[in-house]
Amino acid sequence: MAQRERENRERVERETVSAAWPGLADPAHDSQRLFRQILGAMSEPGTLETLVLPAPPSDALGAALWGVVLTLCDLETRVWIAADLDSPALRQALAFHTGARITDDPASADFALLTHDAFDPEMPFALGSDTYPDRGTTLLVAVERLENDSNEARGDTNGWRLSGPGIADSRLLDIGDSPGCRRLMSRLGANRTSFPQGLDMIFGCGARLAAVPRSTRVTRADAKEVN
Amino acid sequence: MNGYNFAYLDEQTKRMIRRALLKAVAIPGYQVPFGGREMPMPYGWGTGGVQLTASILGADDILKVIDQGADDTTNAVSIRHFFQRVAGVETTTATTAADVIQTRHRIPETPLRAGQILVFQVPIPEPLRFIEPSEQETRLMHALEEYGVMHVKLYEDIARYGHIATTYAYPVKVDGRYVMDPSPIPKFDNPKLDGNPALMLFGAGREKRLYAIPPYTRVESLDFEDHPFEVQRWEHACALCGSDHSYLDEVITDDQGGRMFVCSDTDYCQSRRGEVA
Amino acid sequence: MYVAVKGGEQAIASAHRWLADRRRGDRDRAEIEVAQIGDQLRLAVDRVMSEASLYDPELAALAFKQASGDLTEAVFLLRAYRTTLPRLAVSEPLDTAGMRIERRISATYKDIPGGQILGPTYDYTHRLLDFLQLAGAEVPPAETRDDVTDAEPCPQILELLNDEGLVEQAIDDGSEPMDITRDPPDYPMERAARLQMLARGDEGYLLALGYSTQRGYGRNHPFAGEIRQGQVEVEIHVEEWDETICVGEIALSECQMINQFGGSREAAPQFTRGYGLAFGHNERKTMAMALVDRALRAEELGEPISGPAQQAEFVLAHADSVDASGFVSHLKLPHYVDFQSELDLLRRLRREHAARQAEVEGARDAASPKPEER
Repeated sequence: MAQRERENRERVERETVSAAWPGLADPAHDSQRLFRQILGAMSEPGTLETLVLPAPPSDALGAALWGVVLTLCDLETRVWIAADLDSPALRQALAFHTGARITDDPASADFALLTHDAFDPEMPFALGSDTYPDRGTTLLVAVERLENDSNEARGDTNGWRLSGPGIADSRLLDIGDSPGCRRLMSRLGANRTSFPQGLDMIFGCGARLAAVPRSTRVTRADAKEVN
Repeated sequence: MNGYNFAYLDEQTKRMIRRALLKAVAIPGYQVPFGGREMPMPYGWGTGGVQLTASILGADDILKVIDQGADDTTNAVSIRHFFQRVAGVETTTATTAADVIQTRHRIPETPLRAGQILVFQVPIPEPLRFIEPSEQETRLMHALEEYGVMHVKLYEDIARYGHIATTYAYPVKVDGRYVMDPSPIPKFDNPKLDGNPALMLFGAGREKRLYAIPPYTRVESLDFEDHPFEVQRWEHACALCGSDHSYLDEVITDDQGGRMFVCSDTDYCQSRRGEVA
Repeated sequence: MYVAVKGGEQAIASAHRWLADRRRGDRDRAEIEVAQIGDQLRLAVDRVMSEASLYDPELAALAFKQASGDLTEAVFLLRAYRTTLPRLAVSEPLDTAGMRIERRISATYKDIPGGQILGPTYDYTHRLLDFLQLAGAEVPPAETRDDVTDAEPCPQILELLNDEGLVEQAIDDGSEPMDITRDPPDYPMERAARLQMLARGDEGYLLALGYSTQRGYGRNHPFAGEIRQGQVEVEIHVEEWDETICVGEIALSECQMINQFGGSREAAPQFTRGYGLAFGHNERKTMAMALVDRALRAEELGEPISGPAQQAEFVLAHADSVDASGFVSHLKLPHYVDFQSELDLLRRLRREHAARQAEVEGARDAASPKPEER
């Protein structure tokens, strides 16, 4: 009897989780559509994509990053969650919708979920090795904003200029001006010195998404050209 | 097709390939190992390209499949038919109308546009393989950026023949870092790799490797100052459309040594003839 | 006027119909039933199952029929089907010591606990064509002895050597083995992954490699410690019940080779093992596999690597018949474009060669006086 009750309670919890943390209505086609947007974002660093899917109950995480998780994670992946995003509900939702394994060790994570505030360049995420540079953590980071337009027009100068593969000339990206955001972008700027090892990041802001892989050169938008 | 998932592959396999594709894009020219699956066509017949296409293709995509530049060669027909059957997608022969183009051995003559994806079928992804057969060794050479042997090999050609004797699968350097095999496209097509607005994905099924060139990426064909890279040229124009700037196939017309030259890209040739008419 | 080759689709469809017609053969004769193949051509079925790494005698027989008896093609058919199957559970390690024995022999001891059991073997048949089979002669039923099949499980011979520490122990360290059907090869490979690749490797290829070690290309003094065949239970652990249950039986062949090992400063001299395992009745395959397994342990055991069978990357990368036949047969696909590239270069090189020759001859002619001026 106690067993039956427990099962019932677990079932109700599961259903609550699935209602509050939405999955993909049509897994094969929705994940394909979302993946193509993520692939587009990674192929052309700094371009903005808007992912269409039901938003999760966590505003801090946002729909776009939840969409990345639903599209890419499964029982073959390990996910690390920063304290400021972590919750039993998120863990349950991750397990329920993806089967992904949660890890406490950033170095063993395929994906890391965090906010810009939580980012610390000293966090020991996997950078891959020179022989297997692909074996690194992909960071999914919730940021303050995601914009491509000229920052000076808005009266601030906190944008970053991206160039390299996927970018015809250069592209401006503004993820916000918090200390965490600045740490993120300077960490990305440091990728070039360790290439092919490095961190790849996908930024989310609500339903918006942009990516900056390790191949991208990052400089301050207001930095004078140094010759 | 009953009993199989959309686009044949199960979702878990697609996710595995999709994760690998993102890493491939993030590290242009680096060969990402992936858990390639058996496909219902033989290894060597495009299973790598087919797995990549199956992982990116959506129900609304329009697909084009070419082999040797042509839409109507038997294996192109077979692969196109496979995707019609397992994904129900619309197909086209028009390069401009396609969202995804799977190709073997050619890059279309019609310039690709932003947003298009070109998927290459790759037999041997390792450009250093014929110099060093061991995977452990070549992996290390890539890690250390130790590409001297490749230059030595190309220079030996020059010493022996007066030319670099590699005419297809001509090695390139991607974004100044990784030496990459562009698949057995003729070196004529190599310049199209450089700064192309389309995303280019490469899949080797049997060897279980995939790699990528993002749009607008610098891709240089290896060469020497005194022997700069150059592409093939023909003394003839296409006998059908008159093109003097496309890659030509030689066609033997009789047993007296008669031959003619026609565009290998059938869609390009036909659209030119359409314009002329 | 020239018209590019068209109608690929129709050509393919026609080829398929012709193939089906050829496969069916003379319609006046009864069509072979899949059940007959499973029953009467069971060794072919066992080989197809092993190399396809799918235990399904009925579908393996179907693949064999569909392939008109082409084993490599049948392996491919079954393998391609296998990849589409969901993975429902992972079995517990098989206990071959608990095998219901059909055949069991040892070449290292004359008499062994449990006895030597020849079983249904071709070994001592004289290879004389049996013309009675042309005439469809009746076959008398085999004699059976209840006390053999119901006997207590026979102990494994190599474990008998354990008592004295004469043979190395294969100890399960509990680590999760790599799954070659999921993960791309990553050289150097651990033994668990190597054995998986050998188990689905082409029998002819392994046979040739195993043979090469006997002839001195990486010799390691093998003895057939034990070969056994029979039925083994497959068990899975059900989490919810916290119980291990048997889900069925499969037929297996197992070969344990005993090989010499000189020992080292740290390790006392000991026999080493080579291991072979295959679905069904597949003795030749398991013996060859055990030889190659042992050869591939050369580096681990500090032996010089002198023969092809000891070179792990070479052996493993070329063992799979689906890989190999696919890539060899892809040469049938059009290569017009690459060939055109080669033609173009070759013509150019020949033109330049001819020009150089002419130049050389011209220079020689100019240097030597012409005949009429002599």
